[in-house]
Amino acid sequence: MGKLYEPALPKLMEAMATEARRMKGMDRRNFLKGGIAAVAGLSSVQIISKVNASSNLPPNLPEWQSHLGPGVVSKPYGEPSEFENLQRRTVPWLTVDAASSISMTPLQDLEGIITPSGVVFERYHGGIPNVNPDQHRLIIHGLVERPLVLTMDDLRRFPSVAEIRFIECPANGGMEWRGAQMEALQFTHGMLACCEWTGVKLSTLLDEVGVKPEGKWILAEGADAAGMSRSIPLHKALDDTIIAWGQNGEALRPEQGYPLRMLNPGWEGNTSVKWLRRLEIGDQPWHHREETSKYTDLMPDGRARRFTWVQEANSVITSPCPEKPCKQPGFVEIRGFAWSGRGKIKAVDISFDGGVNWERTELKGLVLPKALTQFSYKTKWTGQPWLLQSRAIDETGYVQPTLRQLRDERGGWSIYHKNSIHTWNVTESGDVFNVQIS
Amino acid sequence: MFKSLSVASVFFSLVVSGTLLAGPLGIGTTATDEVIAGWDIDVRPDGMGLPVGEGSVAAGEGLYEAKCASCHGLFGEGEGRWPVLSGGEGTLDTLHPEKTVGSYWPYASTLWDYIHRAMPYTAPQSLTDDETYSISAYILYLNDIVDDEFIANKETFARVKMPNEANFYVDNRPDAQNERCFKNCADPKLFEIVTTINGVTPTGHFKEDSGVAANHYEGNPSAASEVGTSNEISTTKIVFSDTAVLGEGVYDKACQACHSSGIAGAPKTGDKTAWVSRIEQGMDILNVHAINGYQGEDGVMPAKGGNMSLSNDDVINAVAFMVESSR
Ligand code: HEC
Ligand code: HEC
Repeated sequence: MGKLYEPALPKLMEAMATEARRMKGMDRRNFLKGGIAAVAGLSSVQIISKVNASSNLPPNLPEWQSHLGPGVVSKPYGEPSEFENLQRRTVPWLTVDAASSISMTPLQDLEGIITPSGVVFERYHGGIPNVNPDQHRLIIHGLVERPLVLTMDDLRRFPSVAEIRFIECPANGGMEWRGAQMEALQFTHGMLACCEWTGVKLSTLLDEVGVKPEGKWILAEGADAAGMSRSIPLHKALDDTIIAWGQNGEALRPEQGYPLRMLNPGWEGNTSVKWLRRLEIGDQPWHHREETSKYTDLMPDGRARRFTWVQEANSVITSPCPEKPCKQPGFVEIRGFAWSGRGKIKAVDISFDGGVNWERTELKGLVLPKALTQFSYKTKWTGQPWLLQSRAIDETGYVQPTLRQLRDERGGWSIYHKNSIHTWNVTESGDVFNVQIS
Repeated sequence: MFKSLSVASVFFSLVVSGTLLAGPLGIGTTATDEVIAGWDIDVRPDGMGLPVGEGSVAAGEGLYEAKCASCHGLFGEGEGRWPVLSGGEGTLDTLHPEKTVGSYWPYASTLWDYIHRAMPYTAPQSLTDDETYSISAYILYLNDIVDDEFIANKETFARVKMPNEANFYVDNRPDAQNERCFKNCADPKLFEIVTTINGVTPTGHFKEDSGVAANHYEGNPSAASEVGTSNEISTTKIVFSDTAVLGEGVYDKACQACHSSGIAGAPKTGDKTAWVSRIEQGMDILNVHAINGYQGEDGVMPAKGGNMSLSNDDVINAVAFMVESSR
């Protein structure tokens, strides 16, 4: 402790900071540079010679260790290292316009079950509205005793909850119903994210307004250009729906519905209406465009399933994957994510031979209901080709199906809810390709 | 002393929070009818939410042409890749289902609701109630669901029946049943391994030589369009790339039937004008169109030219041949 409180250094820093505040622009930056060097006890000439040192590797002194780095609040809101390349990405030809499109989470780069807010996949039907929270309202009306208008401050007064839950677009993997198409994990499975969501349970708000006995459905409506609207049955609302304002410890990101969104854990992402402005309680569903024209599943007989809300158990190996090939023979930990909209993941199995034989994996870290769950299998890769697959089993006993099983039931044109076992072909060179076994 | 005090205060606070939660917390402001009315825009199949007002097919035609046709096409056929609003009857159980208002939508109310809340795309909630009635009526007319005399209002609109209504049913998953088998669960002799089509995925961020670097929406599609083609096309004589050379045989077998003569609306191979805007879309789109098939403005391009025994690579090679012959 004693050393840190050496009186001279903080005083010198403080004096410099005061001095710097009186200056502007270039002057100020030059002053700070000189000052920092003085604090470090090095002249600027010394700093430059260190930068030019040929290597940062041992036994040399790394450049970054030879001088002070930027101080506190040099970035009031921090960002990833410049050496990282964590990015949402899209497939431009999928959609006709960026305001009605989709981008994907870089699953290949994620280091745990929480998806950083800045790379959570995006799906808009009319772009991102720029909502001023002071002028945003949630109206709850319809078959209720006490219709209410709530401000963001009002909402924060209610007892709150915080839950880690995944959110997934039902079209995740939908490009691959009729054949392998995408050459990267980010595009085969990236319409998926998992965050901690903070808000009030919808059931709490419904208690506040008093739902009349005839009330069975809720229309949730967004304040975006698409006026996104979905019918949610009361049983879901009373179970686990959250009206959320927080995401990973801070306010929702605009892309995720700032300042307020619905979150229906385990259900197709589209039902979790963003920029939520209105909840109307009614006695029957509304059959709006996103639950008729879209988000219904066309079957081979020409009929279609509606209200296909739940995201069934799914899993994918994230390492190795096309973006993360096997670089050298020897020990490898095969890692991946599993998730189920029906609850907790019970087990994940993997196969190296395209699904002929299977091994049990270990679940790692938190195993939460309706959340991404990590699995791990330790083995050796000696340059032999693999047809790598993972298979999730959830707590209801549901076993993730094969592609053939899904196609036999649903044909190739249902777009949504393709949760079949996925195959990576690891070749002798260690490169990894997306293939389908049919 | 200190200890017993804190126990008492915990007990006290439990009681308070218990009583409080029994009824409404009294948070928020009453929503008056006037406030609700401005935002309560939803319409239901039983007609709830349809406002007073009226529109006609005749009035809808002009409005539609002015406000909608630039994207959705004069007859709802969809300009370029914008959504198609009409046609597709009888296709839902085929290998090329076309889901439109007429062929797929179960309720007419959805049309009124959606147009009113979200269209025109660039100016949502700008249509009046009467305009919405007229344009909705016109789109129903384009789909042969009402006749040209149809007058749309609260009463008539709620009575419109959509042809596909009966074909929706409530989710009956779980459907596909898998077992948690561990040994000899599949027969490798039956495996058919299908690989991805190269060049349609943006991979520039992890493959150095991918040539497909469209990481972002505004990405440069020309990078993709170079895939599989050669740069050495001379002005006088066509020098085909290797891909195109491979494609010629496929073309002769499976594509020339339509593309050499231009029947059924197919762009003629070698006809530069017919191909210029198609080529501008980039090779990836052309390949996807040729492999999966699509309904264009000029006709139907069947998947793989109708010859499903061709591999994706065969088709990509044939497209390269056609494109290189046509610029
Ligand atoms: C600038 C282009 C544009 C214009 C102009 C436009 N739309 Fe659209 N329309 C779109 C897009 C894009 C979508 C799909 C939006 C989405 O992804 O949710 C769409 C969707 C629709 C749909 C739903 C299609 C389906 O199958 O689900 C209808 C109906 C529709 N528009 C009607 C209209 C009407 C009526 C007008 C004129 C008042 C209009 N549109 C003007 C671009 C346009
Ligand atoms: C039965 C007739 C028919 C056959 C056979 C056929 N095509 Fe086509 N093709 C069409 C029609 C019609 C279009 C134009 C569709 C439109 O844009 O309206 C077309 C368009 C195309 C386009 C342009 C796509 C675009 O986006 O503009 C390509 C590329 C193409 N065909 C490739 C092929 C290849 C490769 C084959 C053989 C494997 C083939 N076609 C066989 C009818 C055919």
